[in-house]
Amino acid sequence: MLITGIKSKPVYAPLCADVTGRHHLMLGVGLGGAALLRVVAELETAAPAALATTRVLLAAEDTFERTGIASLARFDDQAPLLEAFTTALEGSLMGTRLYVAGPESFIGRAMQIALRFNLNKDEIRAEECGTLARRVRCVHCRTTTEEVRTNIVRCAGCDRWLLVRDHYSRRLAAYMGVMVDAEAPGELPPIREIYL
Amino acid sequence: MNEAQTIAVEVTAVEQVTPLIRHFTLKAAAGGALPAFSGGSHIIVVMRGAARIHRNPYSLLSSPHALDTYEIGVRRMEESRGGSQFMHDSVTVGSRLDIAHPVNLFPLDKIARKHVLIAGGIGITPFLAQLEDLHGGAVPYELHYSVRSPEHSAFLGRLQEREGGHVHLYYDSAGQAIDFDGLLSRQPLGTHVYVCGPAGLIERVIGTAKTWGWPASHVHWEQFSAPPVGDAFDVFLARAQCTVHVAPDRSLLESIEAAGVEVPYLCRGGVCGFCQTRVLELDGELQHNDHFLSDREKAGGRTIMPCVSRARCKTLVLDL
Repeated sequence: MLITGIKSKPVYAPLCADVTGRHHLMLGVGLGGAALLRVVAELETAAPAALATTRVLLAAEDTFERTGIASLARFDDQAPLLEAFTTALEGSLMGTRLYVAGPESFIGRAMQIALRFNLNKDEIRAEECGTLARRVRCVHCRTTTEEVRTNIVRCAGCDRWLLVRDHYSRRLAAYMGVMVDAEAPGELPPIREIYL
Repeated sequence: MNEAQTIAVEVTAVEQVTPLIRHFTLKAAAGGALPAFSGGSHIIVVMRGAARIHRNPYSLLSSPHALDTYEIGVRRMEESRGGSQFMHDSVTVGSRLDIAHPVNLFPLDKIARKHVLIAGGIGITPFLAQLEDLHGGAVPYELHYSVRSPEHSAFLGRLQEREGGHVHLYYDSAGQAIDFDGLLSRQPLGTHVYVCGPAGLIERVIGTAKTWGWPASHVHWEQFSAPPVGDAFDVFLARAQCTVHVAPDRSLLESIEAAGVEVPYLCRGGVCGFCQTRVLELDGELQHNDHFLSDREKAGGRTIMPCVSRARCKTLVLDL
């Protein structure tokens, strides 16, 4: 069962300002706030006028204090942030660049919403910071198990032991989990915490 | 693509729709339905003139939902090598032609949230077929159509009758011009813009979209180039081991084909990249006329699109 070298595994890169954009929409969760601060500083240097069209949505502990940007909204949690993000996209214009910084599970969910608005790769930048914990979709019962840190996990829906693959679905924002002991029930490889 | 893959068609109607544009309706000579296509597709029409064969790309303007006939619009190009003149002067109802299967190099984005179509003159043709797909659908769209003057506005009756409020018309003669900044600065996220028409219009749209921050993936354009006339030159085909003479009014591709060497092609207009050929040796300069290669590739001199590009050279060896 192939678990590595799979092309659908998303690749992230440190955020940098995209000055070809006219409007900038930034989402940060957890440690992501620091990455966004870096982008704002870059914009300030490279295209100061862009700050007036920069909106930041944040669910982060750190203090993000910045004057000059169009708006900064804070949220306690990912869910209300993503709701506000959807509303923001509804009112956004072509020429908008999206920056997402946070744990991969958050990036995945933000991407899911961005896809609905037909944002393409050349409009989105994402930096992974924080936990590598995965959302795992059971290919047998289609339940998504959250916050998975181990190579093998018990499905929250059907109790099967699932091998967490690198096969990633952008539509579902989840990695695929496949029953690991189908041939020899109960025989499991060692379970290790690897997505920390 | 070779001749065996073409379809024999018969011209069933010819209409002069503007002083420069003729509208041709084609049906399969063997009867029955023509191959299915999607809006934005073109066909290559093979014209067997007395002196030479022309193969020109024309967008299909008929409905993708009606396959008993294909319709094309042909603008007469006086400064050209004769293909459009042949269509205007020698093709009448009952004429037989061969066409290649439709290919779509200018499709609508299937998951766009809005479509903005911008046409100049004869550039309206691919949009006529695309509108058939957009009409009555849930995705908003608008067409901005710029023409010289009322007498040069082709297919307008058909457009206004069906599309009414979606169509915005601009007459150069009345000093009307598309407000490109206004149009491209206020489109909702997920909009795609498509432009077809003269080079100046296409450049203007691409440039304005870039200014307003549109990413390349949302900007689509199609412009078939006619192979320009140039100096004669000779080319050596390394695999076929023969020298081919390219006359001033023949394209490199046509000359290679005339020598009996097949080159795969799709558009014959410098758009699709299908005929890209490796340059093995060059003493002189390549004259790139395509819209496919990057500036860097063009400067590199290692590759050429024989459909529209030429060379001014002492030696040119191609990997054919």
